[in-house]
Amino acid sequence: MEQFLQAGIIGVSLGAQYALLALGFTLIFGILGVVNFSHGGFYMLGGYVAFACVEHLGLPYPLAVLAAILVTAALGWVFELLLIERLVDDHLATLMLTLGLYLVMSTVMLQVFGPLAMDFRFPVTGALRAGPIYAPLENLIVLAICLMAILGLWLVLFRTDLGRGLRALADDRQVAMAQGLRPRILFPAAFALATGLAGLTGALVTPILSLSPGVADPVLATSFLTVILGGLGSLGGAALAAFIVGIVEAYTSVYFGGSIGALVLFVLVLLLLVFRPQGLLGREARGA
Amino acid sequence: MTPLIPRARFLLGGAEIAAILVFAAAFAVPTMTRSVLVYSVMNQALVGVVAAQSVWIMLRMNLLSFASPAFMAIGGYTVAIAGQHDITDAFVLTAAAFLLPALVAVPLGALVLRLKGTYFVLVTFVLSQIMQLLLFETPGLTGGSNGISGIPPVTFLGTELATNKQVVLFACGIALLATIITACLTRYFRQHFAAIEENEILAESLGLVVWRYKALGFVVAAGIAGLAGYSLVTMLLTAHPSSFESGTAVDFIAYTIVGGRASILGPVVGTASLVYATNLFGTHGQYAQGLYGALILVVVLALRGGVVGTVASLVRRIR
Repeated sequence: MEQFLQAGIIGVSLGAQYALLALGFTLIFGILGVVNFSHGGFYMLGGYVAFACVEHLGLPYPLAVLAAILVTAALGWVFELLLIERLVDDHLATLMLTLGLYLVMSTVMLQVFGPLAMDFRFPVTGALRAGPIYAPLENLIVLAICLMAILGLWLVLFRTDLGRGLRALADDRQVAMAQGLRPRILFPAAFALATGLAGLTGALVTPILSLSPGVADPVLATSFLTVILGGLGSLGGAALAAFIVGIVEAYTSVYFGGSIGALVLFVLVLLLLVFRPQGLLGREARGA
Repeated sequence: MTPLIPRARFLLGGAEIAAILVFAAAFAVPTMTRSVLVYSVMNQALVGVVAAQSVWIMLRMNLLSFASPAFMAIGGYTVAIAGQHDITDAFVLTAAAFLLPALVAVPLGALVLRLKGTYFVLVTFVLSQIMQLLLFETPGLTGGSNGISGIPPVTFLGTELATNKQVVLFACGIALLATIITACLTRYFRQHFAAIEENEILAESLGLVVWRYKALGFVVAAGIAGLAGYSLVTMLLTAHPSSFESGTAVDFIAYTIVGGRASILGPVVGTASLVYATNLFGTHGQYAQGLYGALILVVVLALRGGVVGTVASLVRRIR
């Protein structure tokens, strides 16, 4: 029973991390129609920026996390404004652009930090015990910050003019533009918001898991898995699917081990993609 | 009844003939040098170009596929498992490496070709991930994380292809075969594929049975990828999951996009130049991905036709 509860705690914690990543990924697709292959790259960059701030600049960890958010958001903003914007209606071209950016980013990280994993540790250690059950403090802190970030994103999207503008563009770009909304300002903002979220997740999670140039690929695969399950472009679906993926992953790794859980998830997602491309909560399949 | 779209008058055009001649000429290279470096670069390029042709076939219909490593794995592991059972005949293995992935692609195609655009990209990415996990989870068949090693060399008309030179010549043969198949398919159905690429809905409304050509392209592309896997396993004498990681699809896509997607010469030129450039880095080969990324950015932003398309338009302008 203790094992079951502990796996549940880890699953929820994983789910919150995946939700932050998936929300950013699905935000970009929902608003711009761009499949962001560099999303895992921004996660990795967030981790490296936080690491560099702590290790080389001697900044406290919370400030390093803030720096990671700012750097990844700024890069996302510039990338959208200078490159994606030119071809924003060509899905294949924007996909290739984000793929190209990812390859360049991972090579730059490899060049600067080398191929080995960094010794980057979460500043808080220890565990919270409640009878026979214990939960690592670092996971609980990350869970709390992720939940706060998800709440913050919800407030931005549903309680501010910026959010209303972004959602209007996602609903119907032509009508939104006719109403005076300016994609040239809002698209880079959406991209920056999403990449900033990926940077935040990277800065929070890489000290717990690992930080090396290879961390981006699994993150990208998990983001794909989650947003497809939830429905590309659906924020609620992405959050729900993230917790499903996190919990399934935690339980299957505890009770079955190996990669059976991942295999089952991928096959389920494949079938879902084929028979219900709009995912669990998606409204319609853009271009499917 | 008159066909909706007339068949190409000539089976092969200038680009197709040029591509075939390139690989026919490649047979001469191993006879002119004994350099291990040249053999190694040629092997990489010959495997890469076959895989890139698989990507290119799908791109002819505006479908970007990340599934090539999955079908390469089926072709490669088929040969490895056959080798374990002392089946080494080149003709039997070639047929198996093409047909098995193609057969697997029939039901898969029926499922995934319902999707297009972004969703097709995602589903093929997921397919590659599933294949990678399957390789790890079926140690009884595929050797799991250890893969299958110690595969006996292929025999061609009773001769064992054991030397470096013989292996390169064999890779040339596979690349030539893949190029002929790709050239015949894409030339014969050139207008059908072009109609699907241009506007699938319009093509369908004009009576073109789109699913038939997409399914045909998907199945043949899977077979071609299987041949690439065969060539790779024959070169390494090992089938290992790391050889078929989903990330390798990015390389083949880069070869095709950088070379140019409008002509069969695109993947040929793209593969040759990128593999050569990668080897120029020497010991810094791990930075090749950055080069690929930068070139993809340049091509997508500035040279939409890739190397071949840009050269062709320059030639047209000069004329």
